[in-house]
Amino acid sequence: MREALEGSQAIARAVTLCKPDVVAAYPITPQTHIVENLSELVAEGDLHTEFVSVESEFSAASVVLGAAAAGARAYTASASQGVLLMAEVLFNIAGLRIPLVMTVANRAVSGPLSIWNDHADSMAVRDSGWIQLHCVSNQEAVDTTIQAFRIAQETDLPVMVCMDGFILTHVMEPIDLPEQSEVDAWLPPFVFDRALDPSDPKSLGMMVTPDYFPEIRHAHHAAMEKALPVIEATDRDWEASFGRACGGLLTVEGDAGARVGILAMGSTVGTLRAGMAEPGAAPARLITLRAFRPFPAKALRDAARGLDHLIVIDRAISPGAGGVVGLEVAAALAGHPDMPRLHNHALGLGGRDIPETIYADLIAAIEDTDAPGFSVFDADLSKLAPEDR
Amino acid sequence: MTTLTRGAWGYAGASLDFKTGNWRSTDKPVHLHAKAPCHAACPAGEDQQAWFALLQEGRAQDAWEALVAANPLPGVTGRVCPHPCESACNRATLDGALAIHNVERWLGDEAVAKGWAYPLEAPAGDAPVVAIVGAGPGGLSAAYHCLRLGLKAEIFEAAPQPGGLLRSAIPPTRLPRAALDAELERLLALPGLTLTLRARLGRDVSLDELSSRYAAVLLAPGCQEGKEWDVAGAVPTDHREGLALLREFMDHGSFPEAQRVIVHGGGNTAMDLCRLMKRAGSEHVTLVTASGLPGPNTAPGDLINVVPRELEEALEEGVEIIDHATVGRLIMKGSKVTGVEVVSLRKLPGGDGRTHRVAFEGTERILPADMVIPCIGERVDPEGLEGLLERGYLRPADSWGSLSRPNVYAIGDASGQSGTVAAAIGDGRRAAEALALRLAGEVPVSDARPVLEAPQLNPRYYGGGARPHVPKLPAAARDFDSEIEGDIGRTAALAEAQRCLSCGNCLACDNCWTFCPDNAVIKTQELASDGSHYLFDLDYCKGCGLCAQECPTGYIQMVPEEG
Repeated sequence: MREALEGSQAIARAVTLCKPDVVAAYPITPQTHIVENLSELVAEGDLHTEFVSVESEFSAASVVLGAAAAGARAYTASASQGVLLMAEVLFNIAGLRIPLVMTVANRAVSGPLSIWNDHADSMAVRDSGWIQLHCVSNQEAVDTTIQAFRIAQETDLPVMVCMDGFILTHVMEPIDLPEQSEVDAWLPPFVFDRALDPSDPKSLGMMVTPDYFPEIRHAHHAAMEKALPVIEATDRDWEASFGRACGGLLTVEGDAGARVGILAMGSTVGTLRAGMAEPGAAPARLITLRAFRPFPAKALRDAARGLDHLIVIDRAISPGAGGVVGLEVAAALAGHPDMPRLHNHALGLGGRDIPETIYADLIAAIEDTDAPGFSVFDADLSKLAPEDR
Repeated sequence: MTTLTRGAWGYAGASLDFKTGNWRSTDKPVHLHAKAPCHAACPAGEDQQAWFALLQEGRAQDAWEALVAANPLPGVTGRVCPHPCESACNRATLDGALAIHNVERWLGDEAVAKGWAYPLEAPAGDAPVVAIVGAGPGGLSAAYHCLRLGLKAEIFEAAPQPGGLLRSAIPPTRLPRAALDAELERLLALPGLTLTLRARLGRDVSLDELSSRYAAVLLAPGCQEGKEWDVAGAVPTDHREGLALLREFMDHGSFPEAQRVIVHGGGNTAMDLCRLMKRAGSEHVTLVTASGLPGPNTAPGDLINVVPRELEEALEEGVEIIDHATVGRLIMKGSKVTGVEVVSLRKLPGGDGRTHRVAFEGTERILPADMVIPCIGERVDPEGLEGLLERGYLRPADSWGSLSRPNVYAIGDASGQSGTVAAAIGDGRRAAEALALRLAGEVPVSDARPVLEAPQLNPRYYGGGARPHVPKLPAAARDFDSEIEGDIGRTAALAEAQRCLSCGNCLACDNCWTFCPDNAVIKTQELASDGSHYLFDLDYCKGCGLCAQECPTGYIQMVPEEG
């Protein structure tokens, strides 16, 4: 049934449908509404879970780590500085191969202080070993949240569902929430075969000497690679049950014969779709990257094959190197035949509005042969002193 | 080959593969049973920590047996000892030293009341026999320890009764005769021990004879003769020396009449005499002593050599004391004393690098007196010891009491050492141990363990607690027979045992086992207050020292690794 729901509210309802045993989260803009809605659902008796009020994001992550290790389906959510405060525990969760789900309401990272959207927070924990899935719309965010619980328990990996702060979290849209019985049928109960059990003692977080550490890291990397088909298969299975998909690892749309491609993640894709639909707009192949970790290098090469130009949109930069997604796309394409020339641009950093006209501007910029390989595309350099440009 | 789990989770025992002990670079923990300071200070060699540990468990008889392993007369020393153990007690740095003295007395009396027997076996019929001269505390202790070590002992005592100074010089107000007799009778009834009374060395038996007939000879004759005394050559005709007066009082129960008595000297004999004469009716009893009373003007080494509580009680009873002073002149009417000139002393550096007490001119004052009694110490009666005395004493060559003559040992006051009952008991034990080892062809070795000092304790783990109240007769109720100091009783004694810090020995508190971050402390059995059930597993010990830090008693110490 379709309901008009705010993105955060929809996420709280989706989490409720997954019947988590333990929820622990600490509020932070723009994730706050998710936690508020969850606590309201608990108070109303609609969500039966151990809702742990914690004093920080570090504790929130620690609680869900322990809960999942003890065999509970666990959920948390955060953003920005909260993600950074969690960082140590996030590495532990992934390294200890603990399956749980977290929503990141993507927001810029301080300083300077900004509460608005970009992807710097989830990119900062890019190497923690979590699966990271980006959502274009609130419907995708709802569906991906439910899928994430299944992916996590099938792969023994934690899953981060990334949705743009404010742009998605605070926007009301018609959302089709599945029925509880449908979710119950689609999502198996949480079973964790390493769950802590006093009658069969195990320890997690042990010191691992150099004799064993490289093997553990190899296994983690291999698990991420093996998660690629699981993510695809889960989305296909979702589509079979619910009639809509979330984009597997990545999707390709637009003009298949176009020589120019644009790659983006998250809500930017919606803006680009609108720009592409404008009368007279230049044709392009639009690639929506859903799985940033694990990174679908082969699927990306297949999607990019035949293009002359590929514009890669980033909402986070690695200062001194360029756009984070741009760098990864470049690495994935490098050394392969028939790969397009890359144009990497950051857009919408710190919540800068991205207008529909950006589509035409991006395609026009291809003609500028003197342009650098990377730019903060929407930056107005006249706001800077000449020596700072 | 280990097969790794996802996320390197460990199954039971998996962490044993990681031998963190190979991180240890400098120090490792060891159990070091250091001497408790009470034990180190005890002249009798008692291990108070050991018997308090048993008393903490409520095992009074076992505690007494541990006590009499060193000192067979706890009921005596529990009354007369100046208890240097308490002065050394580390608990003094927290909330007051343990009342070791009073608990010892309670244990001694409890043993008599319950009829506990010394834990020793009769010596073999053909065991060597040791001759002991003197049945004072030193001789009796020596005989007892000879029996403990499987030897027989034969004591020769000049007096008609055993006990030596305990009977002849210590008033019953300090040591009731019933308490003394009970412990002496128990000791003298031991199989393998013979006591011959009225056998005086030199008159009834000679040292040569003893040396030839016995495996070894222990000399414990005590100091029976007062030192010669005069003031600038003058001696009153009715002059009486302190120890002789005390002996007379013990025998007859009376003193010569005198209203104004000056006692010259300092020590327990002087103190006992002052107090008894005061009680006998002398109006003024004044002690003139070169030593100092406790206070800011007295250096520790200069302090009057009496049991502190005796000094306190003497002052309560009205004994007057003039310290840092001497008798400079006797004022005589004919050959009788009518007064003394007292002069203060001050310390001046002498040419030999030491300080000397000299009369402080201008401080002379006259005190009226009917009687002047010197108590300046006693010396060994030389009869029968010809050729062995050195400047008036037997002066052994080592701490075992060995004299130059083979197989002859000196014990107690006659050896010119500290001159307490406890010291005599300790001398007797050491001499018996040394001669037993030497008879077996072995060499005695001193206990070289270090003393556990207060800073090595971790006081956070101890509860608080005050010293028990010691009942005492009020000054007005004190007479010639009633014991002045009372019994603290079973409840207080057992409670006092709980205050023992167990310096240098394991309390079985589990701190090391609890705090070790590597589970490198292993507990092997449940009950053992000697710490033997904790082991260090050096395969996993990183040498962090937490166990040593958190050990309340200093029993765990970090020592450098060998090599």
